[in-house]
Amino acid sequence: MATVVRMPAALAGVTEGAIQTWMLRPGDTVAAGQPLAEIETEKAVVEYAAEVGGTVARLLVEPGENVAVGAPIAVILGTGEGDDAVAAALAEAGPAVPAPPAADDVVASPPASTAAAPGGRTFASPIVRRLARERGLSLEGVRGSGPDGRIVRRDLEGSEPAASEAAALASAAPPASGSSATGTDVPLTGMRRAIARRLTESKTTVPHFYVTAHCRVDRLLSLRAEVNAVAPRRVSLNDFVLKAVAGALGAVPAANAIWGGDHITRYEGVDLAVAVAVEGGLLTPVLRRVDTMTLTQVAAAVADAAERARAGSLQQHELEGGSFAVSNLGMFGVDEFSAILNPPQSGILAVGAAKERPVVVDGQLAVGTVMTVTLSADHRVIDGAVAAEWMRAFVTLVENPAGILI
Amino acid sequence: MPKQRRLETGVDWVELSTTAADWKAADPALLGTMLAQLHLIRAFEETVLELAAEGLVHGPAHSSIGQEGGAVGSIVGLSTADAVNGSHRGHHQFLAKALTHVSGGTIDPAAPVGPAIQTVLQRTLAEILGLAQGYCRGRGGSMHLQWFEAGALGTNAIVGGGAAMATGNAWAQKRAGTDNITINYFGDGASQIGSILESMNLAATWKIPVCFFIENNHYAVSTSDSEISADTRFSIRGQGFSIPSWRVDGMDPLAVHLAMAAAEKRMRAGDGPAIVEADVYRFFHQNGPYPGSAFGYRTKEEEAAWRARDPLDRVAKEMITLGLIDEPGVAAVRAHAQAAMTAAVGELLEADPDAAGKRRIRPALWPDPSFVDVGIRGDASELAALTVGDPAEHGGGWVETKFVDAVAAVMDRRMSRDDRIVVLGEDVHRLNGGTNGATKGLAKKYGDTTTAGGRVLGTPISENAFFGFAGGLALDGRYRPVVEFMYPDFMWVAADQVFNQVGKARHMFGGDNPVPLVLRTKVAMGSGYGSQHLMDPAGIFATAPGWRIVAPSTAADYVGLMNAALALQDPVLVIEHVDLYQTADRVPEGDLDYILPPGRAAVRRAGSDATVISYLSMVAHCLEAIEQTGMDAELIDLRWLDRASIDWDTIGTSIKKTNAVLIVEQGARGTSYGAWLADELQRRFFDWLDQPIQRVSGGEASPSISRVLERAAIARTEEVVAGLELVRRGMGQSRTDAS
Repeated sequence: MATVVRMPAALAGVTEGAIQTWMLRPGDTVAAGQPLAEIETEKAVVEYAAEVGGTVARLLVEPGENVAVGAPIAVILGTGEGDDAVAAALAEAGPAVPAPPAADDVVASPPASTAAAPGGRTFASPIVRRLARERGLSLEGVRGSGPDGRIVRRDLEGSEPAASEAAALASAAPPASGSSATGTDVPLTGMRRAIARRLTESKTTVPHFYVTAHCRVDRLLSLRAEVNAVAPRRVSLNDFVLKAVAGALGAVPAANAIWGGDHITRYEGVDLAVAVAVEGGLLTPVLRRVDTMTLTQVAAAVADAAERARAGSLQQHELEGGSFAVSNLGMFGVDEFSAILNPPQSGILAVGAAKERPVVVDGQLAVGTVMTVTLSADHRVIDGAVAAEWMRAFVTLVENPAGILI
Repeated sequence: MPKQRRLETGVDWVELSTTAADWKAADPALLGTMLAQLHLIRAFEETVLELAAEGLVHGPAHSSIGQEGGAVGSIVGLSTADAVNGSHRGHHQFLAKALTHVSGGTIDPAAPVGPAIQTVLQRTLAEILGLAQGYCRGRGGSMHLQWFEAGALGTNAIVGGGAAMATGNAWAQKRAGTDNITINYFGDGASQIGSILESMNLAATWKIPVCFFIENNHYAVSTSDSEISADTRFSIRGQGFSIPSWRVDGMDPLAVHLAMAAAEKRMRAGDGPAIVEADVYRFFHQNGPYPGSAFGYRTKEEEAAWRARDPLDRVAKEMITLGLIDEPGVAAVRAHAQAAMTAAVGELLEADPDAAGKRRIRPALWPDPSFVDVGIRGDASELAALTVGDPAEHGGGWVETKFVDAVAAVMDRRMSRDDRIVVLGEDVHRLNGGTNGATKGLAKKYGDTTTAGGRVLGTPISENAFFGFAGGLALDGRYRPVVEFMYPDFMWVAADQVFNQVGKARHMFGGDNPVPLVLRTKVAMGSGYGSQHLMDPAGIFATAPGWRIVAPSTAADYVGLMNAALALQDPVLVIEHVDLYQTADRVPEGDLDYILPPGRAAVRRAGSDATVISYLSMVAHCLEAIEQTGMDAELIDLRWLDRASIDWDTIGTSIKKTNAVLIVEQGARGTSYGAWLADELQRRFFDWLDQPIQRVSGGEASPSISRVLERAAIARTEEVVAGLELVRRGMGQSRTDAS
C-alpha cells in the first residue's frame, strides 16, 4: 500500500509548515527513520524522518511553499507498486486533506486539526485533562496532534495559557491603497509569520506599560575592563546587564512572574530570554537560571545561543519559557527604545547605547557615560510600583557593579 | 473359516445378596448403628425438602430419600482416615461419613443423638441453607459438602467430577504407607462420562485403593438407564479396566456392607481399585419435594414397588425378626431423629416478622457479604521464611546453562530437598526428560511407575484423570504434584479438573483448603504443531479464579519462580516456551534455592515514551523492537501474571511516567492475556493515560501448520515494531522527536 506522507505538526501549536529542503528525490529508496525533509516552521527548522520505508514516488510540495499540517507532501511506494498505487493513495487521501488555509479562512472556520468535534467537544487524553485541571490550563485553542486531532500530553509541553489567535490575526490591516510606489511581494517565512502573529497578539492583548531610567555606567565600564583583563573570555556590557536583570528579579520577586489566565505563576530562579537578530528575523533563546551563572558563564551561554540561533540549530525547548527578556540595540547606537513583550514573559528590558552625556553631579554639570533602559511590563502581573521598585534595584546594581560580581 | 477363540477378562464380577444367616451373623451393634444412621439421614432429608418447599433452600435440594442404604452400608465400616467424595446428590454420603466419624462407628439406636451428632446435623443443614456456621461457611451449599477432618473430601456438582481426585487421594493414602481407602460415589448418569472411565483406568494401572461406588438409581434426572447405556448393569465397566466388581441390592444395607467389606479387603491389601454397584431408587424427583411420577417419566406403580423396599424398613424388619428391637423402638428412633432436626431448625430459623405463619433464616446467620472473594487463593505467607533472590540484582558469579537444563536442574534440586514432590505427565519419565528434556535425569534418580516409591510418573494419555489425580494429591497435602501438559491446548480436555475443581477447590469449600499444585506447560508457537497445539494459556488461566501464573523469560527467573511455585499453597501455572528451551542462558552460581515471590516484575529497559508490558519469550522480541524503533520505551517483564501476583506497583509507576501502554503477547487475540490486563489497567490508571492502551497479539485464528500461515498468525519482533509505531502515532508530535 502506498503511503501518503503528510505535513507533520512539527512543533507545539503550529498549524502549517514549509519544506525547506527535500533530502531525497523521487526514485530514491528510503528507510523508515531516514530523514526525508527539513521542515521550516515558525520557530525552527527540523528534520523530518520517514515513518515507512519504500521508494519516494512523488514530492507534492515545492520547497518554501507553506502547507497546512496534515496536508499530503509526498508519496512513498512499497515494493512492487507503481503509479496506480500513487493515484489510489492520493485519491483516498484526497477530500480528507484540508487545503492550506488562507489567513482569512482561519478566522471563519477552525482548522481541521483542532481537536474539536462538530458538537464542540474537545478530544483530549485523560492525562491531558488531568494536567489541565492541575495547572489550570484551558484546552481551548490547543491543537491536538494525536490521532483524530486528540490533544495529547506533548501538545501541552511548553504551551502556556495564551490568548486566542483570532484576535492577533484580526488586527492584520489591509495594505494601504493608492500608493504610487511599486514593490514586490516577498513570501513570508515561517519565522516572519511567527513574529507577526506572536507580537501582534502580544501588543494587542497584553496591557503594556513602560518605565524608563538613565543609568551611569562609568563604574561598570571600568569594572568590565578590569574583568576582561583577567577573564578567560571577553565579557560584554550586555552580559553585565543580564546579570543585573537577574539580580533585580531576585531582589523583587513579585516581578519574576507570568500571567496564567486564571492565576499567576511565580518563579524561584531566573530564566531570561535574549533577543538575537538573525537573517530574516529574530529569535529569543532562553538562558536558564541566569541567577546561578557566573558572568563568564553568561557570556559563554549568550555567545553559544546567538551562534546557534544564526545557524538555525536551536531546539524548540530552548525557545520556550522564561519570565523576562532583554533586547539590546545599543550596538546600533540607539539611545533608547521600548520593546514589545514576548509572551509568556511579563517583562522585557530595552537597552540603548552607553554614551557620554552631560550629567549633573552634586549640582555641577559634568560628563558621564549613560545608558538608557526602558522596561515594558505586563500590567496584569506587574503593577507600576513593582516595576519602579524593580527598576531601582536594576539601576542600583548597574551603578554599583561590584554587586553583580558577588 | 478363521479360527476363533472366546476371550475372557479373568476379572471377577459378582452379584451379592444376603441370606437370613447373614443377618443373624451380623454384629447387632452394626445393625443398630445402620438403623440409627438411616433414620437420622431420612429425617434430615425430609427437613431439607420441607424447607425447600417453603422456599428457604436457595438452589436445588437433591434429596437422597430412598437411597440411604447404599451410603450407610458402605460407609458405616470405614475409619475416619478413610475418605469419601461424591456427587450433587451427596447429603447421605456426607452425613454417613460425618456421623461415623463423630460416633466412632457405633450409634445406639435407643439414644441416637448426642451433642456431637446434633452439631453435625445443624452444621450440615446450615451449609445447605448457605449459612456462615456451615462446614464450608455457607459457600458450598447442598452440592459442595466438605469436612476434611471426618474424611469427607467434598461432594461435587459436576457429574463424574470427583473420580480423579478420589483416585489421587487414594494414591496418597497408599504411598504414605497406610491401608486407608477412598470411595468415589457417582450414579448411573455418570457411568459413561470420560472422567470416570479415565480414572478407572489410571487406578487399575497404578493399583490405587479407590472404590468406584455406583449408586444406580436408574434415572439421570428424567432419562432412564436403558436410554443411556446398552447394559444397565454399570459395574460391567470393571471388565473393561480389569477392576473386580460387585453388584448388590442397595435397598439392603447389610448386602452393601458385605460387598464393601469384600472390596475393602482387596483395596487395603494393595491389590488395586474396586467397583461396587448398588441398585437404589430415589423416591423423589431429581430435586424438590415431588415424586418423579409427577413429571411423567416413571409410574406411581414403579415408585410404590420401590417404596415397599425402603431400606429403613428392611433393617428394622430384620432387627425385629432377630429380636434386637421392637416396633415402638423403631418409632422411637424416628422420633429422636425428627426431634433432633426440629432442634437444628430451631437454631437456624425464626418466625418471619413480615409474613404471618412463615419462617425465615435468622438474619445474623448469613455470611458477611464481604466474605465473597476471601480465600480464592492463599495469602502466600508460606513464602515469608524463604530467601528471596532477584537475578536482576545478583552480584555474584554466574554459570552458563541452556534454559531447559535449568528447568530440569531446579526440579532435581527441589526433589532432592523435598520428598513430597511427585512429577507426572505424558512421557515425563522417558525420552531423556520428556519431549523437550525438561525432566531430564529425574526418572533415573527418583524412579518411575515401575519403581517402588517412584516419583516421576509417566501417565496414560488422560489429562482429565491425571490432572484431577494431582488435584486429589494436592488437597490431601502429603504430596506436592508437578503436572506437565505436553501442550497447553490439552488443558481443554482436562478443563473441568483444571478450572472447576482445582481452581475453585479452596474458595468453594470455605477458603481454607491449601491446593499446592504446579502445572507446567510450554507455548509452542513457531514449532508447526498447528491449530490444536499452539495456544498461550495465560489468558484463560488469568480469567479463571484460583490460579497463580508465572511466565519466566530467563533461566535464572525460572529457578526463582519455580521455587516460589513449589512452595506456594496454591495451584500455580508455570508457562515455558519452546523458543527459550535451547537458548544459551545463565543462572546464579551455586544457588538453586532462591525464590522470586509474587509482585516482583523486572524492568528490562528503563524509558519514558511508553510502557511495554510482556512476558515469556516476547520479552526478548520487545527489546529488539524497541532498539529498532529507537523509541525510549520502558519494558516490564511481568514474571507473575495473575491478578493476585502481578506487580501493580512497578506497572503503575511506569504508566505514571510514560502515560502510554503497549501490552505484548504472542498468541491469538481471542483467548489472549492482554484483554484482561488492558481492562484492569484502564480502570486503575485512566487519568494517567495519554492514548488508548495498545496491544500486540496474534491473529484471531489459532496458528496453522503451514509455516507461512503460522508466522502470519503469531506475533514476533516485527509485530512489536508495528505496535510501537502505533504508540508513537498516539504520542502526537513524536515525529520530530524521533529525528
